[in-house]
Amino acid sequence: MKSNKMGFENLKLSSKMHLLIIISSVVIAIGLSVGIICQFVANGFFNYNDDYANYKSVTVDYEDIDFSGSGKEPREVIDEICAKSFEKNGVSYYLLTQGNTTTGGKIVYKFAYSADSKNIDAAVAEINAEIEREVEGAGGIQFSYASSHVNDAILGNGLSLSRAAIAVATVIAVHFIYFAIRYRLTMALAAVLADVHNLALYIALVALCRIPVGSAIATFAVLTVLFTVIGTCFTFERMRKNLKSDEYKKLSAFELSDRSANETLLINVTMPACLAALSLILFVVLSISSLSPFVILAPVFCSLIAFIVCAYGTAIFVPSVYPRFKQIGDNVKAKSKAKTLQK
Amino acid sequence: MGKVKSAIITSLLVAALLVLALFATISCNVPGTNNVKRYNSFLSGIHLGSDLTGEAYALLYPKGVISVTDYYLVVNDDDNENKGDYIDKYVSRNGVFVEKDKAEDEEFAKSVLSDAKIISDRLNQKGYAGYSVTVEDGFVIKMTMPTNFTWAAFREHDAASRSEELNRISNVVQLFMMDGTVSLRDNAEYESSKSLISIREDFASFFTGVRYYAMGGNTAVQLDLTDDGFTKLNSVVTALESSTNAYIYVGENNLGLQLKGGTALESKTLYFSATENNAQNFAILLDSVVNDNVLVNSYNDDTANSGTELIVATPAYGEYAAVCVLVALILVLLAAIIYPIIKYKKLGLVNALIAITYSLVMIVSLLLLEIQLTVGGAVFVALGLALLTFTNVRVFESVRTETMTGRTIQASVKDGYKKRIFEVLDLHVILLIASIIVALVCVGELAACGFIFFIATIASYVLHWFTRFMWFVISSPVKDKFKFCGFAREVLDDEV
Repeated sequence: MKSNKMGFENLKLSSKMHLLIIISSVVIAIGLSVGIICQFVANGFFNYNDDYANYKSVTVDYEDIDFSGSGKEPREVIDEICAKSFEKNGVSYYLLTQGNTTTGGKIVYKFAYSADSKNIDAAVAEINAEIEREVEGAGGIQFSYASSHVNDAILGNGLSLSRAAIAVATVIAVHFIYFAIRYRLTMALAAVLADVHNLALYIALVALCRIPVGSAIATFAVLTVLFTVIGTCFTFERMRKNLKSDEYKKLSAFELSDRSANETLLINVTMPACLAALSLILFVVLSISSLSPFVILAPVFCSLIAFIVCAYGTAIFVPSVYPRFKQIGDNVKAKSKAKTLQK
Repeated sequence: MGKVKSAIITSLLVAALLVLALFATISCNVPGTNNVKRYNSFLSGIHLGSDLTGEAYALLYPKGVISVTDYYLVVNDDDNENKGDYIDKYVSRNGVFVEKDKAEDEEFAKSVLSDAKIISDRLNQKGYAGYSVTVEDGFVIKMTMPTNFTWAAFREHDAASRSEELNRISNVVQLFMMDGTVSLRDNAEYESSKSLISIREDFASFFTGVRYYAMGGNTAVQLDLTDDGFTKLNSVVTALESSTNAYIYVGENNLGLQLKGGTALESKTLYFSATENNAQNFAILLDSVVNDNVLVNSYNDDTANSGTELIVATPAYGEYAAVCVLVALILVLLAAIIYPIIKYKKLGLVNALIAITYSLVMIVSLLLLEIQLTVGGAVFVALGLALLTFTNVRVFESVRTETMTGRTIQASVKDGYKKRIFEVLDLHVILLIASIIVALVCVGELAACGFIFFIATIASYVLHWFTRFMWFVISSPVKDKFKFCGFAREVLDDEV
């Protein structure tokens, strides 16, 4: 592949249409199938986490006293006791939050729903025994207790998901109308295909990979469509411009599409790549901040899928399919012209 | 443009940006106030989502259910006279203690689940950027909402803003956990009041719905009556003495919405003026109740219970998550500054000035419009910056291509911008429409992201043209304009 200043040359994308359609279709079919199967046998179409998932938790209510007489913050002492007990009983939490109460504080450790309740209960019993020892040592009355809970989530964010779906559908419709008015009908159809293809691929990949995801799904679904809009704008603007030049007018739909796609390939790949880099930066810094990479994994994973899908969909898939749209459009045009002449 | 004019415009712009950047980023104690007063920067005044400043939650215990702490507080105290009662009365269910008869009652557990769904629906209407409702151990409802703290409030540098946000959340909790149906009573005190609606009538059926009304800075609760409801309510209100008011209650709670006795209703739509937050909360609560979504159980009013407490939890991404996101955004800004400088030399500096202007515009917009920023929102801010930088770079490339045909920089700039004019316009127009759709249709975090992107798109388009202006201003006094732009001068054959 030879590169020029604005893009690439000799990349014959239009000849790879069948291959690309097969690849996309297979990935989408597998992803959707896995999602549908999991909807019935596992915990949902996607592997829901944070805002949507059921979980188990251990809550420790503690009072504001000098637990071990070491002058340490009570939170630190409790945290140490809990960490030791969890480790001993072989359970690990995925999220820790702490808050202040009127008498002291409350620490909540969240565990996956599949975590062993017996082990959690054993850890809680140990924590309570340890706290009791600490309080007795300090000569006080125990007001601090740990307790294990099972939390069933109510899928209340349904409104946000359904509204996001409506917004995405409306954006796709507007995308089509705008391109039909400003560009050509064939380009508008290709743009809608790009939106649907990218969105389907994004949903399929998120469902397929089974990484725990939360409300980030909707955010990055919208971002996928917006990126596709940007990508198709660059690609079809170039095609429209090329169609006006004498040099390109002589070319076939396939050659025109290939050349235009080559000229915009760089920007259509660079822009998602830059945002993917931002995701990775966020992953690194927020992993440091939260002391756990797992907490930030869901949005970063969703964003990476979204950006990869956008780069592939707009820079490679759509230019390979567009010549067929153009051919059909030209044929229809020619036929209607012939009919008019006949009349 | 002359050298002096160019220098003045550039210096003024740079100075304005510097001052704005200073106010936008640096917080400090105000000198001479003995560290009592503090100036909080624009950045620390931006409202942040629960992923960056944490969330607040409240546990709702129905009657007959108490926490482990409340149980052991009595049972472990040998002097407590209720100790025996508690041991006989309660049984442990995971992490809570439940009255024995209720612990085995499946209907009770189902009613709590049903109440949780109603509360979740009510919270849904609030349009929070992320909230959750869970049922803990089958008997306790946990309501979690974003705190909407600014960084200053989160770090407790702005106590007023912090308590204001917590009060708002507290109001939501208190209102949305109200049980019982809607009623109209003749006294502001529940104990001394009696219902004005006959026991055979259902007051809730008087209404078609309740909405939040806002117009021209006024906010109100809008109650829409049915024809029948209007006639009946009118007769009830007019029958009252003028010294008596009719009060709207939910369960045993007076909402403070009152109708004047002896005065006929003017229309089928009633408006009750209230503060923005109250009007919205009342509207959601009343609409839920008149549509038969009534909580069956009363929560946290058992004497054995320690009451409703709002707990502010640390953010999932860590206490310094907001700083980390800021660091990531600064890195993106640096990339958007450095790459064009390397590629286009001094023209890259013009782009840098524009990128900094964009960042300040976004900071000020987020602050003034009180948009809640989340990690997702930060990605949309970066997307706006990418849009601006990429459109600029594409135009720069276009100009470079023009210069290769042997034209002057001025002519190349004119043609380069002309060639890209529709590409840039189309791109921004369609993104603007898309962002409006996302902002208006979506709720919560996504609506905020849509709004952020709406501002970012406008800023990007305006600054795209501002880049041309500044390019002209800064490069005017420069003799070798090709060198200024980092373009190689094409030597034409006839010049040789």
